[in-house]
Amino acid sequence: MKYLFLITAAALAAFGAALYLTEPQARSEVPVIYWVIDPAPARPEQIALYHRWLIKHGHGEKYDITTMAELDVFRRKKWTPAVRDAIEKGNPDGPKVWDARTNAADLPLSVTAPGAEMRVDASSNDLSKKLIQGVSGVAGDVLEAYNGGQQMQYFAAAGMLADVTESAKKYGFEPEKTYEALRPALFFEGRQYAFPRNPAQTMYWVNKATFEKHQQPLPPSRWTIEEFEKRGREFVKAANPPGARRRVFFADRAFVVELRRGLGLSMFNETLTRCTLDDPRNARVMRLIHQWTYQDRILPSAADMAAFDTEGGWGGKSFQLFKNGQFAMFASGRWALMLFRKFGEMQLAVAEPPHTGMPNTILSGGQSTVFRGSRHRKYAELFLAYMADEDYNMQIVRDGDALPPNPKYTDSELFRRPPDHPNEWGCHEPWAKAAHEIGTVASFSPFVLPVVAARYDGVSQQEVMNDRATAEEAGKTAADRINGEIRRTLAESAELRKRYAELTGLQEKIDAYRAEGRKVPLDWIRNPFHRRWYLEKGWVAQ
Amino acid sequence: MGGTMISRGGREASRMAKGLAFIAPNIAGFLVFTLFPLVFSFAMAFTNWDIQRHNMYNNEALRFVGLENLVRLFGDPDFFKYLGNTFFLMMGMPFGIAGSLGAALLLSRDLSAGGRRVWAYVLLCVSLTVGIGALIAAGAGATAMTILVCGVAGAILVTGSLGGKTVYRTLFYFPHFTAGVATFLLWKKLYNPHTGPFNNALRPLLESFGGAVNALPAGLVRSGAWACAALAAALALIGARNLRRAWLDGEMGTVSVSIGTSLLCVPAVLAVPWAPDAVVRLIIPAAALAAAALIVRTLAARREFACALDEELGHAVISCGGIMTAQLALLGLGIVLFRLPEMSAAGLAPPEWLTQYHWSKPSLMIMGLWAAVGSNSMLLYLAGISNIPPELYEAADVDGASPLQRFLHITWPQLAPITFFILIMAIIHGLQGGFEMARTMTQGGPAGATTTLSYYVYTEGFETGRLGYASAVAWALFALVFTVTVFNWKFGNRYVND
Repeated sequence: MKYLFLITAAALAAFGAALYLTEPQARSEVPVIYWVIDPAPARPEQIALYHRWLIKHGHGEKYDITTMAELDVFRRKKWTPAVRDAIEKGNPDGPKVWDARTNAADLPLSVTAPGAEMRVDASSNDLSKKLIQGVSGVAGDVLEAYNGGQQMQYFAAAGMLADVTESAKKYGFEPEKTYEALRPALFFEGRQYAFPRNPAQTMYWVNKATFEKHQQPLPPSRWTIEEFEKRGREFVKAANPPGARRRVFFADRAFVVELRRGLGLSMFNETLTRCTLDDPRNARVMRLIHQWTYQDRILPSAADMAAFDTEGGWGGKSFQLFKNGQFAMFASGRWALMLFRKFGEMQLAVAEPPHTGMPNTILSGGQSTVFRGSRHRKYAELFLAYMADEDYNMQIVRDGDALPPNPKYTDSELFRRPPDHPNEWGCHEPWAKAAHEIGTVASFSPFVLPVVAARYDGVSQQEVMNDRATAEEAGKTAADRINGEIRRTLAESAELRKRYAELTGLQEKIDAYRAEGRKVPLDWIRNPFHRRWYLEKGWVAQ
Repeated sequence: MGGTMISRGGREASRMAKGLAFIAPNIAGFLVFTLFPLVFSFAMAFTNWDIQRHNMYNNEALRFVGLENLVRLFGDPDFFKYLGNTFFLMMGMPFGIAGSLGAALLLSRDLSAGGRRVWAYVLLCVSLTVGIGALIAAGAGATAMTILVCGVAGAILVTGSLGGKTVYRTLFYFPHFTAGVATFLLWKKLYNPHTGPFNNALRPLLESFGGAVNALPAGLVRSGAWACAALAAALALIGARNLRRAWLDGEMGTVSVSIGTSLLCVPAVLAVPWAPDAVVRLIIPAAALAAAALIVRTLAARREFACALDEELGHAVISCGGIMTAQLALLGLGIVLFRLPEMSAAGLAPPEWLTQYHWSKPSLMIMGLWAAVGSNSMLLYLAGISNIPPELYEAADVDGASPLQRFLHITWPQLAPITFFILIMAIIHGLQGGFEMARTMTQGGPAGATTTLSYYVYTEGFETGRLGYASAVAWALFALVFTVTVFNWKFGNRYVND
């Protein structure tokens, strides 16, 4: 028996060694950094460009090859296919280095290898995994934080992100390089922790063919909820035979937060010290969405969505349903073009979310952050610098992966009129225009975890949609729960209690000023939405 | 002599060392991955451990909070909601156990082919094929699902006639070794509200049924609620009569009778808020009062034969629990019948299953039942049935026992230890379960309807980061499981022995 045990142990060790030795990808001549992100089709190109960008900006090791022996040694190094590709395409002498016909007459050659190789780690892209790996010290080097700052706030509060404020100035990815409205989302407690990867806002893509098929006019780019409702009813009536099950809908979903904001309501008050979902305006929005779903039937219910059999892979099934005409409009970002282009030449237009008073969109998208425990922090930070630079931004422009992080690249003919996609001309300007004119970031309170607040908000919406509670009851429950979480957080931290006391004092002053009709100093207001709202309303003291 | 002793001692030590070397990896794994996390999580349940503030980057001091986490837990309305969800999902457990037993009994029979049985199966397959052809020709029911189901049924009969019990046992056990997530995704398709086979089959049935109900006078349909209430009342009185008889005969103790009576009165308590009208609200509680009065009067009198106070406690709980379940089912049926005319007037539609608040939990229960029927419980029952001495059945045959009597007096008692074990394991599994289904199929929704305690532990621990609180919830769950298991062990064991 003991021999069996020993033989088994030896065999396992041998297999492990064999696996390691025969897995060339696991070994690389240059340090490997990992980008924890979804496996979108654009990733390989984005990474390849990053490798070449490193070479272009001198962040790598230079090799001066003067003899054939040195060339042979260079070739035998443990270059992975990605690094080989970067050397070949990133250096004028690159092709010659790998060409078997190169001889002594072609020497000397000078090439630079990228300082690091980046790989995508899509399997760790789950929020819980990133958090657990991060606080345990084993996360990837560059972590993608989604939902426009929500996840970044969470990770930064856990201390697992690197403060990149100084590096941003050094390498050139400071906040001034991106959209003004997006800048607050890059900060946590006054320090920068992120740079936007693909600023996005959600608006409606319009399938012109679907409207044409049912002989309905195209929606305007900016409209009120009354117009939305009227056109929606007319559309579904025309698109669905009477008495039959509703199969064609006006849009795939409504914009809850945008509708609230149009009425001047945010999840939190001006100083982010209290949840305000118990406001009657929230109830009005919830009732409206319920009516659109179950009475007007211009939006699909959860059962309708479950009834659509298509599973669409990356991005989800709604893309397929939009293409097939089940939804005339589809709420998504400019990044949806990456999938639309695979469907062929769709005739598209763009419409803003219907507004209830103030047109607005939520400027969000993915942000790249640097893991504090990264062993190759310099290259992780350089990745953020690459995102602020031309190479990456033009790739985003070409690929349609939301907006380029640096807004100056939206002011180009390539952005407005991509030569390979004439069917999209006229569809790109609205995204940039919205980001500049009406986009605002989401509001996060430092006193409650964004993911907890979002969860209670989501449950309250489900309760209304399932007729488990009235809109007023659901709003009040959500507000009570979130405010309870605020109290719980404060009980744990003296520092936060101090800050909370200061801010509530400020809030009282704001409320007093508003009650008296006086204008409020802008720097009293912490909530980015309310800053814009007050400016729009002219309530700000100059 | 001394040399021999030393040698023997040395050999013993050597053997001990070798044995320890072999089990050392297992012990090490147990210590590192089981015991240490258990002890650690127990300690953390009394602290304010938060992944945001207590990690390798944020070194805030960990604070001992005593019972604060537990106090917060019991003050959290979500906890009771999710506990209720967990208990609700466990209600399918008795049906799962019964299904396993039924499957085991079925599979214990001689199903092998031979002679006329083969021809019977072949004839059945031919009839099925002809029937499908006729349906297609008539243009009725010619859906792919109908053909598929009939075809599968035919294939099962044919292969069963060739392969016998082995084929059927494999088919019954099949759900158990199918990968969990794949099964959940399959069931999501089955539950598709508009195109799923369940609703495709239910829709025409409900339409016909609704038409039939609309054709009847509403009062007649509603009176079904009163019939159900009367039946429930009768059951309560029958249960009370049986308790009284057992007590008078000295077969049941006073405590056992009292507990049994309490169980019989539970439906009466629930009937007050749930009853659809005053008649039902009157009948069931009145019967419960009458039953209780009968028992009280009986207990107040003297009896000829005495016994221990808790004699036959298990039997009282099982039998009165069963009557209580039947009463509750009748109460539920009565509520449905009372509301049926107005529901039919609006048109009866199949449920939306996972996306509908009130149907999401029953959807998961049905899926759980499907998995439970052909599970390890069925294998345990098969083994148990094969161990029942055939002489008992022969003796019963000689005495002229019917199949039902053979089951109640031979099969069921002989399988009691196995049933007891299965019940314990099912309760433990049920209290801890629901995570996979919630995570894959519903994400705990809609509106928290399918969030169980285990899923709550996950969201609190890994989405919110409050690991101390999540540990407290986990240990509260353990305490619940432990208490229920001890209770089962103490009283269930006695029932088994009885």
